Amino acid sequence: MTLSKKKADIWSLVTFGGFAIVIVFLIYPLSDVFKYSFVDKETGAFSLSNWREFFSRAYYIKAFVHSMVIALGTTFFAALLGIPLGFFTTRYKIRGTTLLTTLSVLALLSPTFIGAYSWITMLGNNGFLRNLLASIGLKLPPIYGPAGIILADALQYYPFISLMLAGSLMTIDRSLEEASENLGARSLKTFFSVTLPLVLPSLTGGALIVFMMSLSNFGTPAIIGGNYRVLATVAYERFTSEINESPGMASTVSIVLMMCAAVVIVLQTWASSRRKYASMLVNRPVVKKLKGTRSFLAHLLCYFIVGLSMLPLAVIVFYSFRNTNGPVFASGFGLNSYRQIFYDVAKTVINSFVYSFIAVILIAVIGTLIGFVIARKRNLAVKALDPLLMIPYIVPGTVLGIGFIVAFNRQPIYLAGTATIIILTYFIRRLPYSVRSAASILKQIDPALEEAGINLGSSPGRTFRTITLPLMKSGIISGAIMSWVTSMNELSASILLYVGKTMTMPIKIYLSVADGYFGTASAMSTILLVVTGVSMFIVNKYFNRGSDTFIAS
Amino acid sequence: MTSINISGVEKRFGDLVALSDINLQINEGEFFTLLGPSGCGKTTLLRTIAGFYRQDKGDIFLGKELINDVPAYRRNTGMVFQNYAVFPHMTVFENVAYGLKVRKMPAKDIETKVKAALKSVHLEGYETRTPDKLSGGQQQRVGLARAMAIEPRVLLFDEPLSNLDAKLRVEMRDEIRSVQKNLGITAVYVTHDQEEALVVSDRIAVINFGKIQQVGVPWDIYKDPVNLFVATFVGKINKLEVKLGGSLEGGMRAATAGSVPLAVPAAGTAGCAEAVLAFRPEDIVETAGDASRLNRLSGKLMATSFLGTVASMEIDVQGQGIVIERHRPRKADIPALGGAVEFAIPPDACLLFDKKTGVRLGGGRK
Repeated sequence: MTLSKKKADIWSLVTFGGFAIVIVFLIYPLSDVFKYSFVDKETGAFSLSNWREFFSRAYYIKAFVHSMVIALGTTFFAALLGIPLGFFTTRYKIRGTTLLTTLSVLALLSPTFIGAYSWITMLGNNGFLRNLLASIGLKLPPIYGPAGIILADALQYYPFISLMLAGSLMTIDRSLEEASENLGARSLKTFFSVTLPLVLPSLTGGALIVFMMSLSNFGTPAIIGGNYRVLATVAYERFTSEINESPGMASTVSIVLMMCAAVVIVLQTWASSRRKYASMLVNRPVVKKLKGTRSFLAHLLCYFIVGLSMLPLAVIVFYSFRNTNGPVFASGFGLNSYRQIFYDVAKTVINSFVYSFIAVILIAVIGTLIGFVIARKRNLAVKALDPLLMIPYIVPGTVLGIGFIVAFNRQPIYLAGTATIIILTYFIRRLPYSVRSAASILKQIDPALEEAGINLGSSPGRTFRTITLPLMKSGIISGAIMSWVTSMNELSASILLYVGKTMTMPIKIYLSVADGYFGTASAMSTILLVVTGVSMFIVNKYFNRGSDTFIAS
Repeated sequence: MTSINISGVEKRFGDLVALSDINLQINEGEFFTLLGPSGCGKTTLLRTIAGFYRQDKGDIFLGKELINDVPAYRRNTGMVFQNYAVFPHMTVFENVAYGLKVRKMPAKDIETKVKAALKSVHLEGYETRTPDKLSGGQQQRVGLARAMAIEPRVLLFDEPLSNLDAKLRVEMRDEIRSVQKNLGITAVYVTHDQEEALVVSDRIAVINFGKIQQVGVPWDIYKDPVNLFVATFVGKINKLEVKLGGSLEGGMRAATAGSVPLAVPAAGTAGCAEAVLAFRPEDIVETAGDASRLNRLSGKLMATSFLGTVASMEIDVQGQGIVIERHRPRKADIPALGGAVEFAIPPDACLLFDKKTGVRLGGGRK
């Protein structure tokens, strides 16, 4: 019994560690946020004054309404772009589908603020596209505000919808649609009575993710929103202006933002739990070949959608090679902006790489261990830990950032201004994804394989090392690369936590854009894009994982 | 060669009693089968022997060793899994070598042993293949070779053939049987397929609701079932509800099925008034006007099915369906549907069970 007792200890230690992480880095900072929303700024006593202010001042009510407008608008336009793309690429023969999918994933994974910034260079007050269109007499409405936010967000997040729709369209057994036709339904009737109901759950799921992402997005509204404030930017603004007092309003706004997110997550969980149609896929669906004009139009639409989402990225890359003269672009091309980065802010680039790397190692190791416990050791403690690990899903980066800075700016845990606090934000924001992906990989590994190892005389530890871990390897690594990409591009929490020496690339880009230094911003954005692209390439090439990896993890 | 002794084993999962008071003595070199419907506890018992479950009560001995608290990986039992459990990230060679490497055997010996194991399952030359390039049958052979290679004290089979197609199933079961006999190793074999159990086993334990119903050689299980469950689970059987009457001469007792008078063996039926009369389709004799036979019944032919070696006929006898089998059938001899069929149940084919408890009431032949 000594051996099985030792084994139990390792996994109880992991469970205990999981609780410790959740309590120290989630519950503790978030309860501070919660507490401060009930503390009067003047007297420091318990009070509802912040909440009263929130519900009585138009500034806050408007921010809430704006957030909803942005989230709904983005979801609508993302669906408008994503549905036809997902449908056409799976049901009709479209040349270069893989390329289209890869590029749309690149758009999805690129740092959120790049799109916004790029649209400013195109359609901002002095944007080249605006000037171009003005020269032919076309006057566009200003880009700053809701239109700009929705434009940038929709073009970033539409792949959630197209990929999830495509994924579910591809797993509908052909026989189901054939059965419908065999029973006398015409193809349009079949589409509405069989196909659509079958894909509806994943469509709703995708739409809710888009809603959630644009709701908690900070970078885009901060850069292109102008005076159009949403909850995330208001929380940030309040926090920076309350720097010398208790963060009452920032906390209150954060709680509201979190509650909205929680509602969406509950809806999303509900929607995906209804996705129980997973049938045996025996016959893959037919891919129809279109002819002539119809084929041309289908291609045109697909390439237009993906092309439009690539446009801001392309513009950024293009601008990064333009010569600059201080903040303004000069004529000609060169590596000016890149040189400037390496002379002036090399540390920023190094920080980004180092912090993300450390965070990813932590995420992969700890996430895998906790994932193992969740998938294989269903005791009472683990069952309690599982939902707690969902918390980061509903905590927008801005809220986590506020929580961290409030909680870790004092004893017993003083982390303000350190690299640790930034690494920890990356870690905690990404941990649930890693845990979940490890657990789901494990669920696909037949427990009989581990039993076979044990039965052949291998100890539980050795079995984990020689059987389980090798089978999980590719999943863990591709998950880690995803964490790497999101950590490299993280802005909304770190923007609240950085000090001069811990600045990262996304923060520097945000500040450069605010200061009008578009050259360095473009060059750094390009570096982030290349990192994102290369990471995706590695996942695709070496781990044989399709695009679904990117939305699943 | 190792015997297995299971005494008073009980296993619960929450409120569910998966195994209750299991007592078994499995002999050295025996091919012993645990047979029962799904959910009966047979796999639980096998997994308890392997050490994947710890029984709540009772003892398990491998040979003389009490293994209750020996962890699964120290038990040296070679298990063959239902879904093969062949390691997908290893070649065939690495799969079979896995248990030997764990035992820190020198590489040279490993190679010899793996070669020998693969040879005995007819997979020579497959060493470098990966499992995804193997058929189901081949994967199960790898599973078998892998379990044999460690020279386990006992071999454990968890429904190893249920994922294979019918033809392969017959082929593999003969192979498993011959490998086991060649090695002279004790084997415990779990299956829900009664025909498979009859063919491969030295002895069978029929299990239902976590309890052992009967232990015996295949002949006894089939011919001399101790209760109605065993009688119906193993093989096909007809049932007639009968009322028992007075004694007849020659150790017989009168019985009536509806309005039909019958004579059944009296042994063991004392004190029982209502019984179930069961008889195998192949034991029935077609009489066609031969009035000298006891227990003659007649009915209307409802359906026939042709199975090659036999033709089975479903006959409606006063509202009760009876199936009889005709061996070496000739098409011309099968009556038209709706036609009358006359048959007799020989008294020595009668199996009588208490209607209330389902327990066997004496009689029958061995």
